[in-house]
Amino acid sequence: MKNAEKIEIDRRYCKGCMLCKYICPCDVFEPGQTRSDLDYLMPQPIRIENCRVCGLCESNCPDMVLTVFAKEKRKENQ
Amino acid sequence: MPQRQLESGMMFNGEGRKEAMKKGRIKVMLGNEACVEAALLAGCRFYGGYPITPATEILEIMSRRLPLVDGLCLQMEDEIAALVAVVGASWGGTKAMTATSGPGFCLMQEAIGLAVAVEAPCVIVNVMRGGPASGQSTSTAQGDLYQARYGSNGDYSLIVLCPSTAQEMFDHTIKAFNLSERFRIPVIILSDEVVGHIREKVFIPDADQLTFVERKVPTVPREEFVIFKPEENGVPLMPTFNTGYKSPVISQAKSLNGNRGNAKEAVENIHRLVSKIEDHMDEFAEVQVYGDDKAETAFVTFGSVCRAARSAVDMGKEKGLAIRSVEVKTVWPFPDDLVRRALAGAKRIVVAEMNLGMIQREIERVIRQPEIKIELFSKIGGIYPQPQEFLRFLEEKR
Amino acid sequence: MNPLGEKYLRKEFLPFLFCPGCGDGMIVQAFLQAVDDLGCIDDLALTAGIGCSAWIGVYMNVDILKVLHGRAIPAAIGLKATQPSRKVVTFTGDGDCLAIGGNHLLHAARRNIDMTVVMVNNQIYAMTGGQVAPSTVVGSKTQTTPYGNIEKQLDGCKIALAAGATMVSRWSTAHLKPLIKTFKNALNHKGFSYIEIMSQCPVQTGRYLLGSGSPQFNLQWLKDHCVKEEDPSRWLEVESQGKIPVGDFLRIEQPEFMEEVQRMNQRVKEEQGKGGDR
Repeated sequence: MKNAEKIEIDRRYCKGCMLCKYICPCDVFEPGQTRSDLDYLMPQPIRIENCRVCGLCESNCPDMVLTVFAKEKRKENQ
Repeated sequence: MPQRQLESGMMFNGEGRKEAMKKGRIKVMLGNEACVEAALLAGCRFYGGYPITPATEILEIMSRRLPLVDGLCLQMEDEIAALVAVVGASWGGTKAMTATSGPGFCLMQEAIGLAVAVEAPCVIVNVMRGGPASGQSTSTAQGDLYQARYGSNGDYSLIVLCPSTAQEMFDHTIKAFNLSERFRIPVIILSDEVVGHIREKVFIPDADQLTFVERKVPTVPREEFVIFKPEENGVPLMPTFNTGYKSPVISQAKSLNGNRGNAKEAVENIHRLVSKIEDHMDEFAEVQVYGDDKAETAFVTFGSVCRAARSAVDMGKEKGLAIRSVEVKTVWPFPDDLVRRALAGAKRIVVAEMNLGMIQREIERVIRQPEIKIELFSKIGGIYPQPQEFLRFLEEKR
Repeated sequence: MNPLGEKYLRKEFLPFLFCPGCGDGMIVQAFLQAVDDLGCIDDLALTAGIGCSAWIGVYMNVDILKVLHGRAIPAAIGLKATQPSRKVVTFTGDGDCLAIGGNHLLHAARRNIDMTVVMVNNQIYAMTGGQVAPSTVVGSKTQTTPYGNIEKQLDGCKIALAAGATMVSRWSTAHLKPLIKTFKNALNHKGFSYIEIMSQCPVQTGRYLLGSGSPQFNLQWLKDHCVKEEDPSRWLEVESQGKIPVGDFLRIEQPEFMEEVQRMNQRVKEEQGKGGDR
């Protein structure tokens, strides 16, 4: 099973629409308190441990600001 | 009298003509046909049109001729689509044109503004007919003079040429393509039914006798290129869609890099669009004087009316009347200085046109001498003025 | 900026002018995904008209000609006519394509000229502030139908089918995976493709027609109302339930306009070479 290393949200262009929270099947995101450069409250990936790197948040983000970095696969899996 | 009018339409005579005939050919053809000949010589390879009297022949002949030179003549669903397709073809890197008449010209107005805004070189022929609305489709008129200049919204400038003979239809078409490529603007040929449908001798020079201007395309690396940054002559290089520059071309007020611009950038853009033409009027403005250029009586004419006025000048001469006829060939931007010079010393100025007084206003603006009244000899309703009527006007209104 | 954006967007034009949660941005991404999969970015030439959706193409780092309201399709025809090797794609909206530009859609489809029209349907005139569109549902209260819209809807897909388009699809922003596949098919299709995308407009359609301005609500609405139904004989039934049929409706091969032009030019020149009529 894949896990996320980190989820990056580009603060220059995020408009805080929260579609990532809506679309995420693993309940990773919550509204945060930081404001983007465009003055919108940005989402926060607070439950990143839930992430299965399905990519839905990335492909559904209307401003293309979300990037999910998958963890490298552990050696013992091989 | 028709014979006389024919003569005055000729461009070459005597020795000049003999010489010219060696490097070209003379053919009797319609004004509209001459336009097509010139366009093909100038390199026009896309035509978007819609049938409308009295401009239809241009579309018809184009549809026959363009396939032979690997061009494409498209009869579009309306004139709006016709001119927009021409703008698209122009950005595709091809010389393109369209032709129409009054009602179609109305439909084209927004796309003329578009061609100005996206700086797409193209040629639009308006073979004028009677208006308003459907008006008199088979009759001549000159009522679109202001529409050709001010028909689209906002501040802009463009070049409008007025041919008076089939020969000039040819010459002006070559000139129109060259100017449109030089300035990256739509150039309008404001012809009328008489010029479009007259069948007379046209001298078609060989291509190597003519000069053709091509748009300048960028050569710098793409990263360094700023799409709407003007060159020294006020015109930006044109990264047409076949050059690989990945150009963002929008019709909105824009900044130099092509993005939506702020107010300051919009202002600069508008000023540049106007000044790139009007600062270089000496390159193209043309006013001709026929007859006695010292005569106190002067006609001012443009387009087909020049023909009758020339005959009137000749007839006047036979009667001992000295008259000059000032023919405005490039009506927009209005060549103030040239017209002022051509009218210098005139005591009586009669503006003859087939509308209720359009170019008259320009003359009133240019000749601000209270002692000179700018008289109007107007013919509308599709009735072409006869040379005798000019002379009668001079006598009766004295 | 995600990797796709880094690779293909015109950075100096960002951010998108779209409102938060707008479907247009999702379409930018889906389209770029299709282009990336095909590796055809250098072959693209785009045109667009006026409206929110017209800006979709402007942010992509490709040749784009953004023209007048409704006139994106004729501009695309002019481009295609002079650059037949390019993949010409037009981004347009429901007002742009069905109202002011409706006639152009008919005739481009009729010609079967090789181009793709991406019609983004948010069921309203959004950029001008929420006026009724040809695609607005009967009964809707908009800024210009304050007592309810009494006009019937216009269905772009049916029009494209009737006018002779050779590829017709409708998806929504809640169907990004099939949409990307359709984009790829359309980019490879020789002929006129019409792709309608039901897209959420939380700010206008959401607030005034559907009852909520939340992007989540609007995307969910599309998920609930767009039903996959590719059999036209069953559309009436779907529509009577207030649903919108989506799917890949048509994909057939027919003589393409630019190829026909080249064939005609060849034939005419040969005939003339033999001394035929010109």
